[in-house]
Amino acid sequence: MSLRHRFGTFLIAASCALVSVGASAHAILVDSSPKANGTVTAGHVDIVFKYNSKIDQHRSRMTLVKSDQSETTLTIATNGQQPNELDSGVDLTPGTYTIRWQALALDGHITRGDVPFTVTAKP
Amino acid sequence: MELLVDIFGYLSIILHGLVIVAQSMTLGGVLFLVFLLRPFMHLLPQGADLERRIARLTIYSAIGLALSEIAGTALQVAVLMSTVGLSFTDVMQAPFAVCGTVKVICALLLIPCLGKRISSSPLGAFLPLLIGAVELTAATFTTHAFARLSDNTLLLFVEGLHQFGAAIWIGAIPCFVLALAKLKDADGWRIVGARFSRMSMIGVASIIISGSIMSVYYIGSIQGFYGTAYGVMVGAKIAMFIALLLLGLGNLMVTERLRNNRETSVIRLRRFAEVEIGIGFTIFFAAASLTSVPPAVDLTTDRVTLHEIAVRNAPVWPRFTSPDHDALAISQMQSQLDKDAEQRHASAAQANVPGSGILPPRNAEDIAWSEYNHHWAGIFVLLIGLLALINRAGVGWLKHWPLLFLLMAGFLLIRSDPEVWPLGQEGWWIAWRDVEVAQHRFFVALILLFGLFEWAVRTGRLHNPKAALVFPLLVSVGGAMLLTHNHQISNVKDQLLIELTHTPLALAGVSAGWARWLELRLPGRGGRIAGWVWPICFMLVGVILLWYREA
Repeated sequence: MSLRHRFGTFLIAASCALVSVGASAHAILVDSSPKANGTVTAGHVDIVFKYNSKIDQHRSRMTLVKSDQSETTLTIATNGQQPNELDSGVDLTPGTYTIRWQALALDGHITRGDVPFTVTAKP
Repeated sequence: MELLVDIFGYLSIILHGLVIVAQSMTLGGVLFLVFLLRPFMHLLPQGADLERRIARLTIYSAIGLALSEIAGTALQVAVLMSTVGLSFTDVMQAPFAVCGTVKVICALLLIPCLGKRISSSPLGAFLPLLIGAVELTAATFTTHAFARLSDNTLLLFVEGLHQFGAAIWIGAIPCFVLALAKLKDADGWRIVGARFSRMSMIGVASIIISGSIMSVYYIGSIQGFYGTAYGVMVGAKIAMFIALLLLGLGNLMVTERLRNNRETSVIRLRRFAEVEIGIGFTIFFAAASLTSVPPAVDLTTDRVTLHEIAVRNAPVWPRFTSPDHDALAISQMQSQLDKDAEQRHASAAQANVPGSGILPPRNAEDIAWSEYNHHWAGIFVLLIGLLALINRAGVGWLKHWPLLFLLMAGFLLIRSDPEVWPLGQEGWWIAWRDVEVAQHRFFVALILLFGLFEWAVRTGRLHNPKAALVFPLLVSVGGAMLLTHNHQISNVKDQLLIELTHTPLALAGVSAGWARWLELRLPGRGGRIAGWVWPICFMLVGVILLWYREA
């Protein structure tokens, strides 16, 4: 069998099973603080996102999006005790915000999502 | 780059599928050489030639593994560098990148090990097996097992056993087919057939044991099988696995018959093995897709119930009228944005940005639009199956039935994605960032190609016998694609209910493709039976599409 024929056979054999694929979320957010569409009081807000898988915390990202669409990248704490969490903290004034997260699971899959929430004034 | 994350995620899974195929063929080739060919080489007149050919096939597989792994890892690295703002060196130290590097190195090291010098040395068996084991170990660290919160060691071992089983069985079948083609005598076929049957049994046992354990840890309950995307995909894998077992059983019977009768034909052995390669590779790509989906045990909410499945799939009269394009949610949203922008004398924002990660809005008209598309696709496919059957029964002029595929492709190109050119505002090229649009266009291209080829073959315009194989191959690809074709819908339950419809469609498509392959390649009664099976599979696809609902 010639090189071209063998390569073509492999290509056809591989292509015959090609793309039976779909991309969906892998590391899923199982709990968050603040909760999605929840409310927190103004001041220092601890952000804790819990996932179903171990996360590469250093290579993940959390971005705070304000109501005027301006973005601030949050610093993610390295937490070896809670390998399935992305933890951060930020001082917030009253308003609506969204945390846009991108998590790299340890097995190499990337997932992303949004958690919108509202900050109310201190009583 | 942000807008390309979704389509890159899809591409990375395709590449992962190619990695699994190449890895299985590489490890399968090594195992075939070490445990089958070399021990029996002295008994086979064509032994030396066969060893050279199989070593070459395995080397090519190793090259394929290296290239696909480099491409897949590079894609992930590029996405991370761009979206998280990390350096190349930093990202390359991530566990997935380290494992990818190890896999590439192992694949490249196998090349000289399979060459004449090392393979004829005392380390000729030990070195490839050791390198293969290292590669397999690295591969397990890019699976769910590594990222789970507990039981990692057990799950990593089980994952390794699963991939080993796939390699020693499915991965080695191309070598088996090559051996059957090159050997010329019954003794050779008997020896190779018998030993490969034993290897396959080890593979099957490994897959069953590891698959059962993984089902307990990743699915956890019967409801997890039908109520989650992960479970449904595993169910599809099991269905195809059973098909492989039946084909393997057929081959075992031929092998046993060879022992008593040297005149037994091995053509069925070869043809069934070819189909096993195709279905086996489909399972590999389903496995690649599984690695990107959360395990069923992690999804405790939004599971569908049996009642919901029954209600959704109860037969209803199809839709033969379509809502207006202007009534669709994106059209209405865009119209409002245009009006607001006109008042502010500014340019209007886009209602939908492909690849943004934000799901487009949907209303009842969108659901009706999609159902209409699926129902008309069902009419096309049902008609195609019926005409193919009647043509087979002897009505010669119906040989032009493949032209219906071209009509169907045109219909799908225009209507599948109403927000995109030619009906919508999104440009042709930008829309490629949307995974669903990319999948639809791939379907259209597939349907066009296999429709054209089959028409050309049936009308005598193409005489090459290999041209006739394009149709079954591409139909199988289309079936495989349907396995995880998903619609961008925010409601998880609705998305899963749609997937539950697509899965039997996919399995019917894969069956149709390989039945047609057997009709063309398998002489005698087996081929004739296969010739009736595939049009019926098409008709089944048509009926399922006619019952399709999204609400």
